[in-house]
Amino acid sequence: MREPTAFSVLRNRAAVAEELRRLLPKIEGFQRAKAIPFGLAALDHCLPQGGLAGGALHEIVPGERSTAAAFGFITALLARVARPHPLFFVLPTYGRRDYGRPYGHGLAARGLDPSRLILVKTSHRKATLWALEEALHSRAVAAVAGVIDKLDLRSSQRLQLAAADAGLPLFLLRPAELLETSAAATRWRVAAAPATRDRFGLIACARWRLMLERCRNGHAGEWTVEYDHVAHCFRLAAALADPAHAGGAGEKSFRQAG
Amino acid sequence: MLAAQAKNPSGKPVDPDRPFVLALTASGGPRIAALNAAAEAAGLTPGETLADARAKADSLQVCDVDAAADEAALRRLAFWATRYTPTASPLCKDIWGAENGADGFFLDIEGAAHLFGGEERLLADLSARLHKNFGLPARLAVAATPGAAWALSRFHAAPCVVLPPGGEAAALGPFPVEALRLSPETCAALRRLGFKTVGALLDKPRAPFAARFPAELLRRIDQALGRIDEPLVPIVPPPVYHSLRYLIEPIITQEAVIALARRLMHTLVQVLARDDVGARALRLSLYNVDGAVETIDIGLTLPTRDVAHVLRLLDLKLDALSAMRDAGFGFEAVGLAVTRVEPILARQNELIEEAGEAGRPERCAALIDTLRQRLGPHSVRRFEPVASHLPERAEILPPMTAPASWPEQETEKPRPLLILPRAEPTEVTALVPDGPPRRFCWRGVTYEVAGSEGPERIGAEWWRKNDGHRAPEPTRDYYLVEDSGGRRFWLYREGLYGRETAAARWFVHGLFA
Repeated sequence: MREPTAFSVLRNRAAVAEELRRLLPKIEGFQRAKAIPFGLAALDHCLPQGGLAGGALHEIVPGERSTAAAFGFITALLARVARPHPLFFVLPTYGRRDYGRPYGHGLAARGLDPSRLILVKTSHRKATLWALEEALHSRAVAAVAGVIDKLDLRSSQRLQLAAADAGLPLFLLRPAELLETSAAATRWRVAAAPATRDRFGLIACARWRLMLERCRNGHAGEWTVEYDHVAHCFRLAAALADPAHAGGAGEKSFRQAG
Repeated sequence: MLAAQAKNPSGKPVDPDRPFVLALTASGGPRIAALNAAAEAAGLTPGETLADARAKADSLQVCDVDAAADEAALRRLAFWATRYTPTASPLCKDIWGAENGADGFFLDIEGAAHLFGGEERLLADLSARLHKNFGLPARLAVAATPGAAWALSRFHAAPCVVLPPGGEAAALGPFPVEALRLSPETCAALRRLGFKTVGALLDKPRAPFAARFPAELLRRIDQALGRIDEPLVPIVPPPVYHSLRYLIEPIITQEAVIALARRLMHTLVQVLARDDVGARALRLSLYNVDGAVETIDIGLTLPTRDVAHVLRLLDLKLDALSAMRDAGFGFEAVGLAVTRVEPILARQNELIEEAGEAGRPERCAALIDTLRQRLGPHSVRRFEPVASHLPERAEILPPMTAPASWPEQETEKPRPLLILPRAEPTEVTALVPDGPPRRFCWRGVTYEVAGSEGPERIGAEWWRKNDGHRAPEPTRDYYLVEDSGGRRFWLYREGLYGRETAAARWFVHGLFA
């Protein structure tokens, strides 16, 4: 057996790195669950599985004074999960004064059937974490969402493992002030954007500015999307803008560093 | 039937060698209600005034009669006695409201006596435990009717007596008429007429008694002899299915309790399966060695016969309570009872089912049970619409019992995604009298309105009954406004200019996505 030369070592190293890059998502268990695609090539291209990973933790952070927009984004994602299975939402009672509570008629107007939602009210953070894990382990619901303020690295790792184990997506709404490193697969920042109006001047579709800040094995990006609650689909706002303003419609994509 | 009579227990440490009496306020000053052996030896009698008693015995200890504490202690004692049979009934009041005396309880041992090897052995066991655990001397009697047992326990010479069925008339004969649980006036009237014993009453014709005395007399005689039934009011509602295990060695740890509960649940599941029902509510009773009883109640969303699920809920509940910390010397008996049953409908499986689809409603119900157990019974909610125009009344969040459906709503009006619990007032610049808002300030931030939709007028619900002096609720005009940054709010103006109010007020009620 001859000694490996410098060139063959380098070639082996590149081949090994390529092999690892192919195997890594499988080892981490991302690929077991179905992904939830956005239906938009620009977004799905940035995500590792062509959509939101089905068995992972996704964090959604509201932009400045845009908590309602973040809630709307979570509602849209929950509505895209396979129907008609029940959905789980954990709501701590201490945030009630800040942003109120979800309104059933409003959810129905956004295309999410309120009878699918199991709403759990908790009074402190440990109860919220416990309820999220219980829902993931039970495999009785199709998706889990919640609002949580502080999430340290270990708790986020536990939630990520539980979500990967169960193959269910977990969406967490986090307030912007208390962000730390976490083991989430993606982190989104949602800010409000002026809505599309029809020819009478009435609001036709809600629109948000989405910023994918962190994505494991993917790229970051920023888009302005609008959500059609009747068809349950996302559309890039840039596509509908006046062609004269196509250049500044707000799609910027940049590669992740390293 | 079994009746027990105990002396009143008191709370303060009392020297048992000195005379000790309990005093009851009555006409003529405080009178003695109960006394101990030393007081009896000193020549005191119940009913005597306290002043005379103090003259007779110099070192007298006196305590007031605390009827409420006595009744509570009696209820705890009756609760403890459910380790023998689920039907324990304290004597205080029967269903006709007549008094039975407040110092004992009934136990219906009809199906339980054979578990102890016979009625005498049960009596001996009960008497020994009352003496060892509570320090109470007891007078016990077993008879076929509650009335006969009551009379035997009070007036028979022996402290423990078993009366074979059919011998009530002969046994009650020599007792005085007070043994029939009659009111004092009736007893005095009977004595005046010359009837001193029960035997004298039994062989007389009934019609003259019915004419001259209240109906209670004949009723009590018939109850004592068993001619009419006397239902007992048990202290806990009797369970439908019940399984109890006595232990030779008391157990302390939670794992041991759960293991024992698993065995009890297995026996119950067989009976439930035979009757084709499932449990909706269960009660675990832990009987402590020193007489306290802990009960743990569990409610379920769907009727179930699943042992693992019930045990998981029991484990969670025991974690939450401090039942294990107060175990003391341990639990000598553990009982599991099913208090509510419902028929289990067999579910038909689909022909083609995805993996993980089977049993989803059961898993969902199990998840809801677990959450309610740990977080409280009102923590899991669902949405339910209410037929009302006012948005804050248009839906309620009731606790989730079983998955329900949201019926189709006809209205296509815009409704917010988040609704504030109380509409918050804002300062709005708008054209008077009914122009849309142009600029508003909410929670310290000013927003410039870029576009608005509306108004949607929602009037007060005039059909709701109002107190006469309260003014009717003002009309609301709702606007969906969007500011330059794209944030959308739901504002309303309360009150119509000129017609309802002079100066309208504006509120923020909800936020749109």
